[in-house]
Amino acid sequence: MSLAALRASARKTTYSDEGEHLREAVAQLIDLNERSFSISGAQNTVIASIREIASNCSFRDWDGYGAAPISARALKTAEALIRALPSGFPLPEVAPEPDGAISLDWTQSRRRSFSVSAGQTDRLAFAWLDGTDGGHGVERFDGVSIPRRIAEGISSIVNVGASVRTS
Amino acid sequence: MSVLPSGLPELVADDEPLARFLTQSSQYGAGRVKPAALLPHPIYRNTSVFRVSDDRNLLKGLWSAINDGERRLIGVAAFTAADVRECGLELRADEPPPKHANVEGWPMRDDPEARKASDKEIAARLAAEARLILIP
Repeated sequence: MSLAALRASARKTTYSDEGEHLREAVAQLIDLNERSFSISGAQNTVIASIREIASNCSFRDWDGYGAAPISARALKTAEALIRALPSGFPLPEVAPEPDGAISLDWTQSRRRSFSVSAGQTDRLAFAWLDGTDGGHGVERFDGVSIPRRIAEGISSIVNVGASVRTS
Repeated sequence: MSVLPSGLPELVADDEPLARFLTQSSQYGAGRVKPAALLPHPIYRNTSVFRVSDDRNLLKGLWSAINDGERRLIGVAAFTAADVRECGLELRADEPPPKHANVEGWPMRDDPEARKASDKEIAARLAAEARLILIP
């Protein structure tokens, strides 16, 4: 039986409350499995780096200067951003930020970069440098599609032609 | 000009070397300091630095003197006071601890995400000037 058929079966058949809970859990597991299969190995590597940073910076003052621990919300948002990138799209470096956010950085050179912060809300702070030019802004993230301004900003910095699912 | 307990002048000169200690390998990559390592403290709105040259022994000695030993020093972002000022920021000596100063003047905005976005652009400009020194 295919994953899709198994999922449909798990959702359609009803027997009891207990069985319903179990079927929902199975459906969620299958969904999770499908999502993990649909992203590339490189994306999984970045997600592993994000989780490692969240673990290493999970306590207050991880930087010796009083930084806040990386938040669960930041971890979830950062992973969702990576999952929203199409296969083949350049992937970012990741870094912890002192307010408990996670920074996703696309860096071509010292003065040519684009950075997005996954923080405590669904609003993403971003900034870019392009030589002496630069700028910054804020966009809302629905958890599924990369905001258009951010996708275009990344594309212009890293010079890619890949189309990105945008909102 | 007044002199601080460390013997340094209160006014930070443009050509003074500054160091921002790094405790996580994720704060740098590809031989560069990542901008996130230079962002200001979320509450105090300043970035702590030390007025010390890039000599590794000096850096390790100062770190040992000011740190409780819970974190290992693995690198330093090195830049000058002039680099800070060219980003539109200011420096204020702030001892103790010895040789400590704060990078101040990060823009204030009511919207926290807009403030963060502005901070990220400035931190990227400062990181572009910073040298990474790894501490073995």
